[in-house]
Amino acid sequence: MEQIVRYREDVFGEVVILGVSWDLLYVVFIAVAVLLVAHAIIMAALANKKMDKPSAEGRRVMRHESFDRWFHWIMAASIIVLIVTGVAPILGWRLAWLDIHWISGLILTFVVVVHIIRGFFWQDFKSMLLGVKDFGEPFDSAKKPGKYSFEQKGMHWTVTVVALAVIVTGVLMFMEMTTPFWERTNDMPEDTLGLIFLLHGLSTLALVALAATHIYFSLRPEKLFYTRSMISGWISEEEMAANHDTGKWSPKEAD
Amino acid sequence: MVATSHDVMPDIELYQPTDEANALDLANELGSDGWLLGGGQDTYGWLKDRNKTPAAMIELTQIDAWKGIKEIGDGIEIGAVTTITEIANNPLVQSRYGLLAEAASKVASPQIRNVGTLGGNLNQDARCWYYRRGLDCYRAGGNICYADSPEGLNREHSLFGASRCVAVSPSDTAPALVALEATMVVSSSSGQRLIPAQDYFIGPDRDIVHMTVLNDGEILTAVRIPSTWANAEFYFEKVADRNVWDFALVNVAAAIKVSGGVIEDIRLACGAVECVPRRLEAVENAIRGQQRSEEVASRAGEMAIEGARPLNYNHFKVPLMKNLVMRAVRG
Repeated sequence: MEQIVRYREDVFGEVVILGVSWDLLYVVFIAVAVLLVAHAIIMAALANKKMDKPSAEGRRVMRHESFDRWFHWIMAASIIVLIVTGVAPILGWRLAWLDIHWISGLILTFVVVVHIIRGFFWQDFKSMLLGVKDFGEPFDSAKKPGKYSFEQKGMHWTVTVVALAVIVTGVLMFMEMTTPFWERTNDMPEDTLGLIFLLHGLSTLALVALAATHIYFSLRPEKLFYTRSMISGWISEEEMAANHDTGKWSPKEAD
Repeated sequence: MVATSHDVMPDIELYQPTDEANALDLANELGSDGWLLGGGQDTYGWLKDRNKTPAAMIELTQIDAWKGIKEIGDGIEIGAVTTITEIANNPLVQSRYGLLAEAASKVASPQIRNVGTLGGNLNQDARCWYYRRGLDCYRAGGNICYADSPEGLNREHSLFGASRCVAVSPSDTAPALVALEATMVVSSSSGQRLIPAQDYFIGPDRDIVHMTVLNDGEILTAVRIPSTWANAEFYFEKVADRNVWDFALVNVAAAIKVSGGVIEDIRLACGAVECVPRRLEAVENAIRGQQRSEEVASRAGEMAIEGARPLNYNHFKVPLMKNLVMRAVRG
């Protein structure tokens, strides 16, 4: 268990949780690297059997509105800053990380709250729902998804759970610090605080793995058009037809 | 684990290198497992209480190259394992850098000064009851600062620069070296780096478990003091609960160049108010070029305490620091 959780005796001689064992960070780094490299090798081996990529030329349809693209990149930047500033002291990098960390955390919290509200009331929330039928999609090449594929929905919901865990535990930890808004009280019981640190650490590790996986897939040749759409907003009709069921998703034409 | 004093040293490997290369190789090989030992005045408590459990000690006091005080091209160089007594009594230090001699003479007690080294005094760990007692505080890898809790006893703790941990820099020689614009010579098996004294110490915002920029495998081998402030006017004052064998509640070190009653240049640093020696640059800039007067000294004192965030039991440090800075500027 000590490989996962750090313990120590408190002032009363009771054993309390301090947080996650940071050796796991290296385990996550290595495991993710191995899995992604293996995926890249397998995909490279299968590449010859693949058909030509659909053209990006011709009519364009809108995949991501400008507001959502901004949201995505602000969230991405804040998560990367949070990961870097969070792991810096673990890796022994000496930088004044804490203020940058909580400021990025507040930005992330804000954009996630905005995203949740927008997702419920202004976006096509149903297009992101993951149903039982979706689980058959990866195994049936004839089945095409609507706006989002099974993998994209899976990634979105996993990131949602992990990001919410990071945010909730992060806000609880933030409330225990001295900030420009309040003085710390330092009165949370140590075992409760340790549990929060543990959950924050575990969700951070998951977020590191998810962020690495997400970046990897966004850079894969066959997925690059999705990344382009997150920058410019559009995909071509040919790309849509090759990857999506137009009966399930009928976007408006891009400008 | 909470400390249990055994009053005996634990079973530990002891290396006693007699040359630099050997010491640096050992430090490199052992990394964080190798505890660098000067006079041992900070070390033995940690080890006897079993609150630090290194696998080995590397005793540095047998290395002659790192001992003594000598003149160099621009100023003097003091070996890191030179004893505090030797520094306090050295004629060269006394005549040119009286600030350091005075600060050294105020360290702990005569017995401790006789064995304690400059390197040890500069690199000693934070003085906080809770941390020294072996509690699982932030500095010890935990999630709490016991000193800054509602019941925490924090009379000796920081006014500035706290970031989770509120412990202070306990050294008397450090503020003097910051004021003298000293440079730390840090050696390792891969080479040497020179670090301004002001940048040598780091606060908990950058690294909560270390108090200096020394990396594993590195050793502070010497301190160089440039001639810039030689024979300037100096002021050092330490206020502690006892006159001997005690740490500063606040200390102040000032090097001042005065001409015709005008403060031409000044460097000021306070100890025991922050986790690092606190250089008072804003004060220096404000009074540089001013006629030395009671009013200027008073303004310097007021400026020095701007931004102070006292804890439950150390509000007294605010006027104490203000008055010490006033006295340093007044001369």
